[in-house]
Amino acid sequence: MEQSGTSSLLKGAVQDLASGVVSALRSGDHARAAALERADGEAEGLAPAAVRVLGADALLPSTLLHTPPLPDELAVFRKAVEAYPPGDDAAPTVLWSHWAMRHTLRRHDPGYVGGPRQEPDAAWLEGATWQVLTHQLAVLAALAVPGEDCAVARAARHRPVDVARGFVRAVRRRDWRQAAGAGRWLTLLEGVPQTLGLENGLDFVELMGGQDPLVALQVSAARLTRAGAFA
Amino acid sequence: MTATEKVTRELTGIQSADIEAALDPAEADGIYRDSRECAALALFKGGYGLLLSPPTPRPKKG
Repeated sequence: MEQSGTSSLLKGAVQDLASGVVSALRSGDHARAAALERADGEAEGLAPAAVRVLGADALLPSTLLHTPPLPDELAVFRKAVEAYPPGDDAAPTVLWSHWAMRHTLRRHDPGYVGGPRQEPDAAWLEGATWQVLTHQLAVLAALAVPGEDCAVARAARHRPVDVARGFVRAVRRRDWRQAAGAGRWLTLLEGVPQTLGLENGLDFVELMGGQDPLVALQVSAARLTRAGAFA
Repeated sequence: MTATEKVTRELTGIQSADIEAALDPAEADGIYRDSRECAALALFKGGYGLLLSPPTPRPKKG
C-alpha cells in the first residue's frame, strides 16, 4: 500500500532517530546526543514528532547506561511530551506510551512535574489472547526496562510462556519488529522456557531484521538487559 | 503551541492522528499462523534449529 508523504516523512524520521539510539547503545558514549540533534537539524519540525513515536526509547541510552541526557536531548523529549498528548479516545498503547515518556522525563529531569503520575488502565491486556498480548507488548517494548514496574510489565510477568509463544510466532511469521519487542520483554521475565533458545532467537531476529533500526534497537536493548550493563 | 510550531506542523503535515496511528499499529501481515506449533516450539522443542526451519509447506489451492 502506498504511504502518504506525511507518513513516509514521519517513518523516515523515526528510523533515523532509532539509528542514533542504536549507535549510542552499542558505543555507550555520547553518540546518543547526535541522534536527536541530527533529527532536529534535518527536519526541525519532525524531531518532536519522531521522538513522540519512538517514545521513552529516545532516551534509552541514558536510562540503561545511567548517563545523564544532554540538555538539548531533554528539551526535545519534553517538547514531544507536551506537544503530542493522547487524544480523548486514544488507544491504550498511545496512553501508555505517553505515560512512559512522562515517567522517563521525571527520572531524568527532576524539575518536570507535568502530567498525571497515575498509570493508565491495563484491563485491555487481561484475558487477551497470547497473540494479542505479544503484539501489544511488542508495541510497548519501551516499557521493558530493568527495575521498572507498571501494570503492563506485571501483565507480561504473569504470562511468560504466552510471550514465549508469541515470540516464536512472530519469528515464524517473519514479523521482526514484533519478535524483537517480544524478545526484549522476555529478557526481563522469569519462567521463560529454557527450550525457547532466546539467545539464539535474538541472534536470528537481528540477522534477518536487524537492518531495520527499530528491530536493531529492541535487540540492542535486550542484549544490554541480558548483559546487565544497566546495573 | 507556538506560532512557529503551528507553521511547522502545517509544513510537515504531521498531526496528532498521524502520531497516534504510528503508536497503535495493526499487526503486520504474516504468513504463518499455526498456534499449536508455536506453543510446541516454545515449550518442548525450541532452539535455534527449529526457529530457523522454514514453515511447513502448505498445499496450493486449485
